Amino acid sequence: MADGKTDLLRGTLDMLILKTLSLQPLHGLGVSQRIEQVTGGVFQVKPGSLFPALHRLEQEGWIEGSWGESANNRRAKYYTLTAAGRRRLGEEKRNWAQVVLAITKVLEAT
Amino acid sequence: MRAYRRIISTFRSLFRKEELDRDLDEELASYLELLTAEKVRAGMSLEQARREARLELGGVEQVKEKVRERRVGYLIDTFFHDLRYAARTLRKNVGFTAVAIVILAIGIGASTALFTTIHAVLLRSIPFDEPDRLVVGRKTMDGRVAGPVSRVDYLDYRELTESFEELAALGWFTQSRTMTGGREAQLLRAIFVTWNLFKTLKVDPIVGRSFLLEDEQQGDGNVVLIDHGLWQTRFGGEPGAVGSTIHLDGFAYTIIGVMPRGFRFLFDVDVWHLIDRDVPIDRTRDSHSLLVVGRMKPSVQIEQAVVETGAIAAGLAEAYPETNRGKSLWLTDLHQFMVRGVSLNLQLLMATTALVLLIACANVAGLLLARGERRASEIAMRAALGASRSRLLRQLLTESVVLTCTAGLLGIGVAYLLQDGLLRLLPIGGLGLERPLVNSAALAFTLGVSIASGLLVGVIPALRGTALHPARQLGSARLFSQGAPSRRLQRTYVVMQVAISIALVVGSGTLIRSLAQLSAVDLGFDPRGLLTGEVGIQEDDYATPAERDLFFGSLLEEVQALPGVSSAALISKLPLRDLGTDWPVWPADQPPPTNQASFFAMARWVSPGYFETTGIPLVRGRDISESDGANSYPVIVLSEIAARSLFGESDPVGRTVRVRFSPVDQPFLVIGVVGDIRLNGLRRAPDAAMYMSARQVGGSSMGLIVRTSGDPRRLVSAVDDLVERKDPNVLFARPASMASVVDGWQAGFRVVVTALSLFSTVALILTAVGLYGVLAYHVNQRANEIGIRLAVGASSGQLVRMILGQGWTMVGPGLLLGLLAAYPATLLIRPLLYGIEPLDAPAYIAAIGIIALVTTLAASLPARRATRVNVVDVLAKQ
Repeated sequence: MADGKTDLLRGTLDMLILKTLSLQPLHGLGVSQRIEQVTGGVFQVKPGSLFPALHRLEQEGWIEGSWGESANNRRAKYYTLTAAGRRRLGEEKRNWAQVVLAITKVLEAT
Repeated sequence: MRAYRRIISTFRSLFRKEELDRDLDEELASYLELLTAEKVRAGMSLEQARREARLELGGVEQVKEKVRERRVGYLIDTFFHDLRYAARTLRKNVGFTAVAIVILAIGIGASTALFTTIHAVLLRSIPFDEPDRLVVGRKTMDGRVAGPVSRVDYLDYRELTESFEELAALGWFTQSRTMTGGREAQLLRAIFVTWNLFKTLKVDPIVGRSFLLEDEQQGDGNVVLIDHGLWQTRFGGEPGAVGSTIHLDGFAYTIIGVMPRGFRFLFDVDVWHLIDRDVPIDRTRDSHSLLVVGRMKPSVQIEQAVVETGAIAAGLAEAYPETNRGKSLWLTDLHQFMVRGVSLNLQLLMATTALVLLIACANVAGLLLARGERRASEIAMRAALGASRSRLLRQLLTESVVLTCTAGLLGIGVAYLLQDGLLRLLPIGGLGLERPLVNSAALAFTLGVSIASGLLVGVIPALRGTALHPARQLGSARLFSQGAPSRRLQRTYVVMQVAISIALVVGSGTLIRSLAQLSAVDLGFDPRGLLTGEVGIQEDDYATPAERDLFFGSLLEEVQALPGVSSAALISKLPLRDLGTDWPVWPADQPPPTNQASFFAMARWVSPGYFETTGIPLVRGRDISESDGANSYPVIVLSEIAARSLFGESDPVGRTVRVRFSPVDQPFLVIGVVGDIRLNGLRRAPDAAMYMSARQVGGSSMGLIVRTSGDPRRLVSAVDDLVERKDPNVLFARPASMASVVDGWQAGFRVVVTALSLFSTVALILTAVGLYGVLAYHVNQRANEIGIRLAVGASSGQLVRMILGQGWTMVGPGLLLGLLAAYPATLLIRPLLYGIEPLDAPAYIAAIGIIALVTTLAASLPARRATRVNVVDVLAKQ
């Protein structure tokens, strides 16, 4: 049961992470906080799903991780969007737009 | 680019696993630190912030495990880990591992051995160029009976067909020819072929040339191709052999070529010679003796060829209604034709081994299931430490696959042993196929079977083993006893095993009974103490019938004078050794019937004393005697079936019959009636037969049959010497006792029956082991209850009955299922049965008896153990 839900969210999570990183490189905590902040707390990305997602995206070659200094001088792994990741984000956005459009049509049908 | 990245990262995660793990550790640590710092900034105390952060992160190990699972190289990585782990666990349980591996090795080994044979015989193509375009043609009459084709018809097919690149033909059987001219006479096997047979097969001689159309048309060529073996033994492999002359039965032939080593087509022969105009084969359309072999054009399917030959046959039927009405050509795939006798046997054996393997798998699955229960706490611990269910499943399955693959390795050894011993006996020698070897296909098969059975035995126990609640397991692992679903599963395995065993035992039972019936079959004559062999004389040395008479007459006299010989006789074709040759026969006072309407009887000619020598009873009239010579009226003796078919109930003695194709073109006087015998095989009903007088019909090659009071084989050299003394150019060829000839007819079947009985026994043993395992486990589990029962006064008899009853509750349903499954199974093997019906009561009753015995045996040990439960111990534990 629970698996089904995560699967559904996983695709969305990928898109949200890619979008977040397209604005600036961030470390793991930064990504989850940014998503929570932007969505007004609707999406809370737990480490249990965040890190697997980050590592998978890295393996796909869509983001790249490198160690750097955080704002208050702590070591943290920062993720940057790659060119492939940018293209991927574009695809996901288009798909998403289609899904939203389709669902909206269904909901507005009288 | 992306694929490249993937490969790189796969390798990275494989070989830099530790580095990646360290990296992940650091990343999570930094996450924690950052989160803590945030919370401190938000006003928490450092302590509180740390705790909150930890809570938010969840279990570090779980997160790490989840990330690892996402890695591409993870699967391979954990596979090796699982492999090591499996090897360790299996080593720790040597007893369990050994039992499981031995059980599986037997199953896998037997399947591999059988598969190799099946692969060689049934699946691999025959060793000719584009073999799937080769077909054989046989004659049909009114759509049934496949028999030889007439040469005249064949020539028309060859002329008219558009479907075939080449249409060739060869003799329906081989001939013995005596070769003279060397140091001593030598008996050769020869076969007639059309000039284009080798062109059809696309095989060329290695030395010399093949037959040409001109050889066939000239008809005076008398040219032969010889076998590689004969070339080596007789001509020392000299190329000069080509062009030299050999004498066969007194006729001169020129050798034009040598066939490649190992070449054989349907028959083992030394010499191929041409059917040419001068060969007295099938001069008319209603005499049939050829097997047609064709190579279809690349664009033609066998269905099209069938349609076309059907049309040609219809045309012939219209042009020659006398001989060809209802006659057609029946085309079969060459490969199918070659394996026709053995494919059912092999399929039966293969199915049997598959079932035995299934039983073995059920046993091992039962073992794994029982062990899974004992390992419940270990699994629960791993689950609690962050292993996901799929991870655990993979690990358990790796374990069972390691188990079965080890068994598979051993199984190859088992296969090798089995194959060498068992398959040598299988009736595949005469197929013209290579002897099967354990080859790469077989190894691939073994690997496939090993892995498949690993998954088969592993999947249910693994699913069961991992569907546990860690908390409950950890808390109560010690007290945990076998769950109901597991017990049900084990019972299901036993039920399945019993069912399969029953079906196998019933099947073996029907076949064993068939073999017994076949061994006890009434041949119509007495094979004991009979020596048989062939004697052929050179036509040009004995040109006149009188000379032949003299030779054979004195030979018989001298053989009869040998010590130990009670009588001897000659026959044109030895029963059960030389088959075929049936000719139309009809009462002489009736008009000659058409071929289709004719009654056929096996035509033989014999010397006086043949019936007495073989033990065929003379029912009425008299035997052929010395006085029935060339100058007296032709006589004939009919078998009872022939007599009844021609003359009904009236007395045939004194009537006359005519025989088509006979060398004597006069009516024959019926002088006697003899019993029917099986001339053409054990499974065939006795054939109608007619016996003419050898001195009237003639022939230069005869079968010699000698009755002795002792061992017939001891007479061979005496007869040999005698024949050679009489004429060095004559041989006593292919000597064999009649008993061994009869035995030869059963040999193949007996091997199949033996193998099947063996497999059924293995199945029974495995089933007994499975049943024993479940019951023993059961007694162990119920030791407390049994102890209390004993304490309150249960007798050991009651306990034994209880355990036996437990056994029977599992065996009962299996028995029922097995009996139900056995009937359709025996229907499938019906062609192999002889003299009994598929629903053979003795076989079924025996199967029930055997399974009852096995159940009792398997249950008796656990039952005895139950009665020995120590009451004091049990009560003390309570």
